[in-house]
Amino acid sequence: MISYAQLKGEKKRVAVVGTGQTKFEARSPEKTYYELALEAALTAINDAGITSRDIDSVVYGIYNDLFERQIMPDTYVHDYLGMYGKSGIRVTTGGATGGYAFRAGYSEVASGLSDVTMVIGVEKAQDCYDWAQGKTTPEVIKSIAYSSDMTWEFPLGTSAASSYAILASAHMKKYGTTEEQAALVSVKNHGNAISNPFAQSPMKITVDDVMQSRMISYPFKMLDCSLYTEGAYALILMSEEKTMRMGIKDPVWVMGIGSSNDKSFTGSRTVKDRMGKYGDIADLRNHYESAVQAYNMAGIQDPEKVIDVAELHDAFSFTEIQAYEAMGFCGRGKGGKFIEDGVPLMNGDLPVSPSGGLLGAGHAVGATGVMQIGEVVNQLRNRAGKRQVEIRSGIGLAHSIGGPGSSYCSVSVMGVD
Amino acid sequence: MKTSTEKARETLRKELKSKPLESVIDGIIAEKLNLNTSVLEREKYFEIPDKMVMFYKYSYGEQSRFFSELMNHAKLQGSRCMKCGIVYFPPRSRCSECYGEIEWKEVSNEGTVLSSTTSWYATSEFFDSVPYAVGYVKPVDADTGMLQRIDLKGREIVEPGTRVIARFKERRKGVVSDFWYEIME
Repeated sequence: MISYAQLKGEKKRVAVVGTGQTKFEARSPEKTYYELALEAALTAINDAGITSRDIDSVVYGIYNDLFERQIMPDTYVHDYLGMYGKSGIRVTTGGATGGYAFRAGYSEVASGLSDVTMVIGVEKAQDCYDWAQGKTTPEVIKSIAYSSDMTWEFPLGTSAASSYAILASAHMKKYGTTEEQAALVSVKNHGNAISNPFAQSPMKITVDDVMQSRMISYPFKMLDCSLYTEGAYALILMSEEKTMRMGIKDPVWVMGIGSSNDKSFTGSRTVKDRMGKYGDIADLRNHYESAVQAYNMAGIQDPEKVIDVAELHDAFSFTEIQAYEAMGFCGRGKGGKFIEDGVPLMNGDLPVSPSGGLLGAGHAVGATGVMQIGEVVNQLRNRAGKRQVEIRSGIGLAHSIGGPGSSYCSVSVMGVD
Repeated sequence: MKTSTEKARETLRKELKSKPLESVIDGIIAEKLNLNTSVLEREKYFEIPDKMVMFYKYSYGEQSRFFSELMNHAKLQGSRCMKCGIVYFPPRSRCSECYGEIEWKEVSNEGTVLSSTTSWYATSEFFDSVPYAVGYVKPVDADTGMLQRIDLKGREIVEPGTRVIARFKERRKGVVSDFWYEIME
């Protein structure tokens, strides 16, 4: 791993120079997944001040073939965007698809293979439909449940919620985290979304609203869970050399990326193994490891002091609490207190998920992690409008996770000079 | 004289042993749901009834031994690494920590809940059984835990650390749901 300091010295950094998104909505029957991707791409290309000819390669973040009802959906997006003749690859790592697509896009540019790479996350989940029940959700969660191991776990009646609820229950038992503390995350993120015109679920709610919402998978209630979303988000990545040549005004630099996959058979996170130092089933061990890698690359020792803004993955409210700890924003087991103290609120010392996160802005799976990075980029270049937070050190963090038992995690640290 | 097109069609018809399963399913769906096969229209954007169905002959590979012991003898098999000693449950056919060879080993029916959740919402297939608990259970003599159903017995949640014991269905089919755990009182 080459440090950010060295890359900076050699002028070999990678910047994000453009962002673009569609509105995140529960249902967009007026656009196919490639039409959604095209809309986001055009906005990002325009924002970067480049033309499509400047793009050397594309990385697609699309999670689930069963959502799109299409194997290899990326190849049709590639055609639709007029990217024929250029390299296009797809990344699919569950909820972390966007974060890993960004890692792949970074690698394209950092390696020198491309000067300009577009990273697009897109998802259209709600074509799934259970005709017998007359509902979307059972079929959407079934298509996700197929991500459980088909021999050992799926036949027991698993869901994404149950997989993450098991981690939350363990955290509650080990550290005394409460459902009310998790509810505070839901209140915060739905509230933050009110200032985000692209968000799906802006809502002013209370802890009681969350506590009294329908039980989904203990300890998760309905308002602890993000909703499925249709939408796309695109980023334009550029080499430092090209940003200088093009005279890009406010590039946001990639300072560090760390990614770590833990054991997907969650019950095996018990043996004394390489990641035992980070804990057990109650601790998101790969989140700790990803943060350590990203901070090492970025040269960050005190994340809670130097990070101005973070977008953490809150597919479920408890997961954000677990992430406060793994990102080093607070001590181990202190995530619940961290939000009780108001630190991650918009007016707190370390605002978390001003976009509204997944709970407020929506979870368009492949697009989600890309959206989180885009939000950090726009915060750092002071273009976040009504939800702009104060930028002091000029460093932000995006956290993208997914997979059974949160087995995927990629952390991206971004910064401005 | 038959054209080559006719010959090809004839050969394919011979290979088709019965009505394709997918068209059988299509018939059932149409009958059950009384689906209007014409195109639905929501405002001016089309949404059409559709599906993706796949059939498999799914292979268990070397893990088959677990399922044959479960199905035929109501016993739980783990595997022990002969190099580093880890006892895997569910069993693995090779140690993922040190790549050591393994030996099969019966594990205890008694275990401890590492963590669990109670599901109150599920896919349609499991609607009938909510609420139900699933959790990772580590047998007392194994080092890793396996996901399994835990009988709630009227409780709402099963706490981590709860002692449980395996129970077996009378008619077993060689699937993981052939057994479950009950709380030891």
